[in-house]
Amino acid sequence: MAVTEQAAPQIAERPSRLRSIWERLSILFASRTAVVGLVIILFWVIVATFAPLLTPYTPTEQDYTAQNAAPSAQHILGTDSLGRDLWSRLIYGARVVLVMLPISETFWLPGGVALWGVALGLLLGATLGLMGGYLGGWVDEVVMRILDAMMAFPVILLYMIIIAAIGASATNVVLAIAIVGIPGIARLVRSLALDIRTRDYIRAAELRGENPWYIMFVEILPNARGPIIIDAMLRVGYAIFAMGTLGFLGLGLPPPSPDWGSMVAKGRQFILSGSPWAALWPSIAIASLVVGLNLFADGLREESLRYQ
Amino acid sequence: MAKFIIRRLLLMLLTMVLVSLAVFLITEAAPGNVARNVLGIQITPAQEASFLDQNGLDKPIYERYFSWLFGTDWRASMRVGLPVRRITTEDGFKEWWAVKEDGTLVRWQLEGEDLIARLRQPDGSVQTELDNGRWQVKDPKVEIARLEAYREELLSNDQVRPEARQAILQELDQILEILGTVKGEDALSAALVGPEGSLEAMVDAEVAGTAEDFQAAADDILQTDDLSRVVEIYATLSSESADALEAGQLQTMVRQLGNAAKMVEESDPALAQDLQQAGEQIRGDDFQAANQVLAGAVTTLDDMTGSLVQFASALRADDYQAAAASLARVADPAQVPLDEAQLALLPGMVAEIGDSLEDASEPLAGALVQAAEDLETGALDGARSALDQAAQIMSDTGYIIARSESARRARVVRTFWGIDTQDHAVNWEKGGGEETWIFIVGTGWMAISGGPTDYIPLQKGLLRGDPGKSLRTGRPVADLLFTRLRNSLVLAGIAFAIVMPLALVLGLIAGLNEGKMLDRTLSIGGMMFSVTPEFATGIFLILIFAFWLELVPGATVFGEDAPWTRPDMLVLPVLTLTLIELGYVLRITRASMVDVMKAPYIRTAFLKGLPYWRVVTKHAIRNALMAPITVIMLHVNWLLGGIVVVEVIFGYPGLGSYLLDSALFKDFNAIEGGAIILVAVAVGTQLLADVIYTFLNPRIRYA
Repeated sequence: MAVTEQAAPQIAERPSRLRSIWERLSILFASRTAVVGLVIILFWVIVATFAPLLTPYTPTEQDYTAQNAAPSAQHILGTDSLGRDLWSRLIYGARVVLVMLPISETFWLPGGVALWGVALGLLLGATLGLMGGYLGGWVDEVVMRILDAMMAFPVILLYMIIIAAIGASATNVVLAIAIVGIPGIARLVRSLALDIRTRDYIRAAELRGENPWYIMFVEILPNARGPIIIDAMLRVGYAIFAMGTLGFLGLGLPPPSPDWGSMVAKGRQFILSGSPWAALWPSIAIASLVVGLNLFADGLREESLRYQ
Repeated sequence: MAKFIIRRLLLMLLTMVLVSLAVFLITEAAPGNVARNVLGIQITPAQEASFLDQNGLDKPIYERYFSWLFGTDWRASMRVGLPVRRITTEDGFKEWWAVKEDGTLVRWQLEGEDLIARLRQPDGSVQTELDNGRWQVKDPKVEIARLEAYREELLSNDQVRPEARQAILQELDQILEILGTVKGEDALSAALVGPEGSLEAMVDAEVAGTAEDFQAAADDILQTDDLSRVVEIYATLSSESADALEAGQLQTMVRQLGNAAKMVEESDPALAQDLQQAGEQIRGDDFQAANQVLAGAVTTLDDMTGSLVQFASALRADDYQAAAASLARVADPAQVPLDEAQLALLPGMVAEIGDSLEDASEPLAGALVQAAEDLETGALDGARSALDQAAQIMSDTGYIIARSESARRARVVRTFWGIDTQDHAVNWEKGGGEETWIFIVGTGWMAISGGPTDYIPLQKGLLRGDPGKSLRTGRPVADLLFTRLRNSLVLAGIAFAIVMPLALVLGLIAGLNEGKMLDRTLSIGGMMFSVTPEFATGIFLILIFAFWLELVPGATVFGEDAPWTRPDMLVLPVLTLTLIELGYVLRITRASMVDVMKAPYIRTAFLKGLPYWRVVTKHAIRNALMAPITVIMLHVNWLLGGIVVVEVIFGYPGLGSYLLDSALFKDFNAIEGGAIILVAVAVGTQLLADVIYTFLNPRIRYA
């Protein structure tokens, strides 16, 4: 009797949605590294979203009077070897990474190449991981062997072969990032699923006679979201890293689209002849964005561990 | 333990096979055309086919995969009938030779229709000798079928004079009978001597090559004379390949039609307009309409020039009699009255045709040039007789060429499998008149009759350590691959030797000071370095050390030298790799150390009163290092990617940049060879990680 009386008010005081969000945010703000990371990320997201308003130039516009120019009032970050404004190329490059995925000349999807790559990898990897972890048996065996074979492939080789095989374009970079991400995600989800499938609510769902796919995607996946989200955040960092590397190796977005990696590759030739700007800015941009994402994910993980 | 290692080794082997298969399939499916990458975009389909054949790329994929794994030399050896061996010459080149019964090394080459054996002497020099004895009659069944088909063709061939045709047919029938009845290689050769000798006598040695010269002349005329070109364009557009024409070709057509229109503008404005219109229609991709207009235009042109516009097209199609007829028609006053309009066009055309024929037949060219002069000066009778004479020469030469050609093709094909000087097993065939394209270094492409019809590129196969020849450089992949691998290993090895102790020590220090300022600086700094892409780090380092401080070179140039000859050039690449790896290893070590320091047995050790450093060095470190060491091994996979980028940034001649170049070039053998090595390194280190882990942690036992 006394027990129920005590419990009742607690149930009534279950925090409201708004409040739980606020509590989570306060966890976030408690970590200084997470805040620094968030600020960097927000900077790039905002700059990318409002890119057309933030520069008078388009990323492909050439200024023949100023080639390889140093920063000045006209071009605040200088220009590249073709006289294109580096600030414009930089922020339009951020757009491709974070805000819009160009499918064709005229059509684009919201969400950048890195985000779509991770999302697609999550979708495929989580499906494989859930199948292996929940269904078990020969399915698990087959899935694990495929993942092992994929893991044995050096990542860079996989990228090179995929892109050399299907050609360089934004969609193909998304595909490559997704394929390379699959084994890691699948292993993570599998280990989580192995743990969660022993819980009572899964037993309950099974007794209700739910379909295995329902159990996998509605019962297991949402309950495994915490580690998956933090992993995904780190993966966005990797994806940006990979995108830059691909661009740098000439396997990224085809020119003249503003791609950070290929900007560095092109600007690199002019460093020792005295105009380092074209290579410097995109290097800083990509480094800052990846570091920001990692700081954010690290801070988040640390704080959430502390509160558990 | 041994069982475990053996199982892992078997698994590794299985992975490698799967990987090689995957690499093979993916590169196969890739778009792009290696023949065009190697030879340029201007090659013809015949040349492309020959290139693919020479490199064995025209074979079905399972056969290529099999050859790639197990080599082709044993198959070649079966075909040639002699053992085949690869030797390394004094200059370090690898060459394939056949071994004769007496042990001499021999290769062959074809000169004209003669087989030349190149015998390698013990001192490395080469002696040549005629080796026609090795030719063998091709399979009689195949030959009967071919010759019977050829007989039909000959019967309807009006390029040959009837009496010559009759003579050839007679010999041909005799040959067919011999092929059908006589058995045995030697008997067959002996029996064929008679009829083939007679056929040989019908071949006029003087016209050898004239057919090609006429072809070249026809091409020349078509290139310089825009009116002849109109006929050719009409033919191209009416053929089935019209849809496959490329934009560039269409543009050329439009331009040529425009030029032709300008030429006839004064004499026939209506025709000029038609030609312009056809050009517009081609531009608008409306081939059908263009064709209709052109049909009318060609008829008009025919009338105007006495069908001289057909001359080049006829010549190109090897129809000498039609070409001669078009000359004769111009000479005939009943057909070509040589009115003013015609006189405006003809002298120029005749002169151009005459010029172009200079190489092919001097008398013919002379007559035509004479005719052109006469036309110019108005001596019409002189012109007509000169043209008549030209037509006569054309016709006679044509008959001789056609007779020689027909007699040649009526012979039985002789075939021979041997080793050529470019490391292929080659099936040479002579007679039969089939043309093949061969690529001769320095000369370019040549069409020859009697030449290689099938190739087996010689290689030992991956399993015997020979992944084949690079299509890009023509050198064996293995040679370059191992130099490049050595360079990469030097780079990675130095970086590894610096990173490991440094990162482990820093990681332990950070772990012992968990949460303090030192720990935060080290781990956040390490994280920043490890997540920054290699190319960005590389650029920063180049800027700081090579550009502003000018301490070390910002690029590496070794040429053929080993990397350690220029240590200053290694500084920046090693530093870049070090920074990337340092943060990663540091963070793992730190986390592991933090975990261990919280373990109960460490607390017990402290409670027992052991001094701090003793606990750390005796109890904590060994356990704390377990995780980082295995994780580092697993990280090799990731490190390989870093090496590729670092090699590209600094122009370092390592395996990674080699692989990247090969992938971009679609150089099959090189990609596949490199990929196998990379995978072997990755899988091997993973195996090593497992083994080390079991040694370090006795609690783990693998069944």
